[in-house]
Amino acid sequence: MNEKLLSIRDLCVDYITDQGPVRAVDAVSLDIHRGEFIGIAGESGCGKSTMAQALMRILPPPAIVSRGEALFEGRDLFSLSEDELRELRWKCISLVFQSAMDALNPVLSVGEQITDTMLAHDAANAREARQRAVDLLEMVGIPGDRVDSFAHQLSGGMRQRVCIALAMALEPSLVILDEPTTALDVIVEHSILTEIRRLQRRLDFSTLFITHNLARMLQFSDRVAIFYAAKLVEIGPSAELRKAPKHPYTQGLLRSFPSVRGSTEELTSIPGSPPSLRTPPAGCRFHPRCGLAVDICRERSPELMLYGGDHSAACHLAT
Amino acid sequence: MSGSTAKSESGFSVWLTAIRRDRKAAAGTVIISFFILVAILGPLLVGDPKAPIGMPLQPPSAEHWLGTTGQGQDVFAQLVAGARTSLAIGFGVGLVVVAIGALIGIAAGYFGGRVDGLLSLLFNIFLVIPGLPLAIVIAAYLPTGPLTLGLVLVVTGWAWNARVIRAQTLTQRKRDFVAATIVSGESSFRIVACEILPTMTSLLVAQVIGSTVYAIGAQVGLEFLGLGDVSAVTWGTNLYWAQNDAALLTGAWWTFAPTGISLALVGFGLILLNSGFDEITNPRLQMEHAWRIHLKRRGHEPTRSTPVVIER
Amino acid sequence: MRYLLRRIGFYLLAAWSALTLNFFLPRLMPGDPATALFARFRGRLGPEALEALRETFGLTDAPLISQYFTYLGSVLHGDFGISVAYFPTPVMDVIGTGLVWTLFLAGTAVVVSFTIGTLLGIGAAWWRHGVIDTWLTPVFALLGAFPYFWLAMVALYILGFTLGWFPLGHAYGDDLTPGLSFAFIADVLRHAALPIATVVLATLGGWLISMRNTMISVLGSDFVNLARAKGLPQSRVVLKYAARNALLPSITGFGMALGFVLGGSLLTEIVFSYPGQGYLLVQAVRNQDYPLMQGIFLVITLAVLGANLLVDVLYLWLDPRTRESTS
Repeated sequence: MNEKLLSIRDLCVDYITDQGPVRAVDAVSLDIHRGEFIGIAGESGCGKSTMAQALMRILPPPAIVSRGEALFEGRDLFSLSEDELRELRWKCISLVFQSAMDALNPVLSVGEQITDTMLAHDAANAREARQRAVDLLEMVGIPGDRVDSFAHQLSGGMRQRVCIALAMALEPSLVILDEPTTALDVIVEHSILTEIRRLQRRLDFSTLFITHNLARMLQFSDRVAIFYAAKLVEIGPSAELRKAPKHPYTQGLLRSFPSVRGSTEELTSIPGSPPSLRTPPAGCRFHPRCGLAVDICRERSPELMLYGGDHSAACHLAT
Repeated sequence: MSGSTAKSESGFSVWLTAIRRDRKAAAGTVIISFFILVAILGPLLVGDPKAPIGMPLQPPSAEHWLGTTGQGQDVFAQLVAGARTSLAIGFGVGLVVVAIGALIGIAAGYFGGRVDGLLSLLFNIFLVIPGLPLAIVIAAYLPTGPLTLGLVLVVTGWAWNARVIRAQTLTQRKRDFVAATIVSGESSFRIVACEILPTMTSLLVAQVIGSTVYAIGAQVGLEFLGLGDVSAVTWGTNLYWAQNDAALLTGAWWTFAPTGISLALVGFGLILLNSGFDEITNPRLQMEHAWRIHLKRRGHEPTRSTPVVIER
Repeated sequence: MRYLLRRIGFYLLAAWSALTLNFFLPRLMPGDPATALFARFRGRLGPEALEALRETFGLTDAPLISQYFTYLGSVLHGDFGISVAYFPTPVMDVIGTGLVWTLFLAGTAVVVSFTIGTLLGIGAAWWRHGVIDTWLTPVFALLGAFPYFWLAMVALYILGFTLGWFPLGHAYGDDLTPGLSFAFIADVLRHAALPIATVVLATLGGWLISMRNTMISVLGSDFVNLARAKGLPQSRVVLKYAARNALLPSITGFGMALGFVLGGSLLTEIVFSYPGQGYLLVQAVRNQDYPLMQGIFLVITLAVLGANLLVDVLYLWLDPRTRESTS
């Protein structure tokens, strides 16, 4: 594997509410290597987006980072000053949100939204920046003359492509994609994902891809991490996860997504719903919904254990 | 902005929570309660406000706490007596205006289509036509008195509520549970009464408070012009007479100052009530409170970027 | 452009409603206003006056429809009838004298108030719990709770009467001749200072709070968060991303509040004996001069509609989404 780009250690993110702190990310440790495409899957509210935004420290109040470190190229993101953060943002790590319509400023042209970050970081002049913006748009398949268009004049798919072009603007080392295709139809989704992989190979950046669609992600990612109720419950190479998932939750997720290529199987969904993070279940958080739960599952929270190669899972019953 | 339906509790219980939690709402309640007491009990404790009790334009003294008017009447008595009518008309108009606004706003928002188009046009026209000149033109033809005043205030004041309530109805209507009940074939009346209205109680209460503020202010303005019953004792007519008797140019500040201050206190008290409400029903304004305290306790400045507050 | 055309259509409809209201009001009210007026001014108005009055109301023997069209016709020609209080001066002439002063006073006050209020609102939202948010906001909110004209009375009393810093009334000193001379303009400004300041102080709070609340809301939106994630400088995030968007609903609210502010401004004029529409209104009410009242109503309504149209044009310029239909 390549060298480590980002090393997250024991990260905890809390939301401070009237009734006390709610832990939205619980002791997550994760490494991202150069040039890697790593996916993060889990149900809504499991903490994946929170973690991603916490890395860039753009989580709005009442969030705080209450534990851990995130070493990006050796520097701890959590000890940087505001100015250092501002320099690092977008230049080293960039972000694509789920809803492109919400992510774009309605009163500025898309070109201006690409050039303003260039002008804020490099010493590029306005004309060069504009030309680069045009090139970026063409790179993601949008005609360059749309550089002066506004967000509302573009289709959903085009808007998302603009956001991707925007994310590439300063050639960052890590691009975080937070459910970028959830709001788009399947065909557009596939083409955008293919596009991203192509760009990744061309520009050589790492991708952190967040989604709730596990099947889709196994197709495109090198490695996949599974989140459940603020914890990281399984992580490993895609091929292995697909063939031999170790955590019952992962197994459940795989069973609930159809595969076009696979044999005709019965789809089953996981019974119940994710627990409240304010009062999580004792022991393993998944035990109320797990068909295999035994006594120890109700009492002790399982540690993330390595099971050969690069595959880890947090389950008392994994082998 | 007020009116978020984060909670569909009854307006009253939200109000109670607001008072307990938020100093602004509590302060507002104190002020308004005080004036309501004055309005109810006051006139029983002071003499006839219209009886001349001394030399005209006497400054405040031990005898007459707020001095005398240009006609030698007791300013204090007039202040206390005026509270009743001014507050009563203000609150009455506030209720009526929200009722009408709710009727039209909900009808427009719920039925949509042509009905919405027509009703929206109606209230938008009333919104854009300036209120004071319209009020004057209507009031001028009618006999002076509280009914005329009330009518004119209602005509010029209902449109804003219709607009706000329509917007909220539209939002509610789009929500899934309403769509479900519509599909299930329930009668429109039941849907509105049981599914939509209950979610709007906090909005309606806020609107009543806001409309009362408007009604009191507009009422005073019209009376100041001389369109109210100038022989009645209200806060507005107090100011009318003060201006008429050239209070300013004779230096008799006590004839207009107390009334104005009382008006401001009532208005401000009502606004405090409403903004206290706002903090409770608007989750966004609420959220940061606990966060700030958490940071302060650990010696952290609230930063723009997500703060890192490592717990030991 | 379709947006503008729709707005113009709406304003024409509103203007027509106001005209029609003006026409029907005297006819709906109890009693015959013209005769009632005549009774009131028994002996003070000659028969020609009564005739003129009847004509103003269009109360001829013709059928209602033709009365209506005659009325519309005269209005479109600028004929609003003859004033009772200033008989035999036509209403239009009476109004004309004061219109400029009202527009000057209210117009200046509204622009100044909105500008300062909006800027302070941006500051209050950006520096939450800072000086502006904690102190200025409640102070201006409190000031806004006073009736405008009461603040005018206080200002006049303290700054004019007691301290003598500002003149006690009118638009300019009696000893000066109107003209574009420096002395005259300076004097006009001196006389306008208190009235404008009063309206500004009374209305500032509204714009401040509204902008502050909208800003707080916009500061929480995704695109502002993304702007921060892009590493943009604070100033750009606040101004070009947040404020620029928060301004839009503020401008909409501005248009809606114009009529209301104008009303308060008229009452303020009365306190300062400012020779605008406010003073005329008082005279009209006192003398039950219905033609004048209705004339002022129409003129002020048209002014407000016109101002609203200007605001809509401004909005068109500020919000690219209104410039063409969405794809």
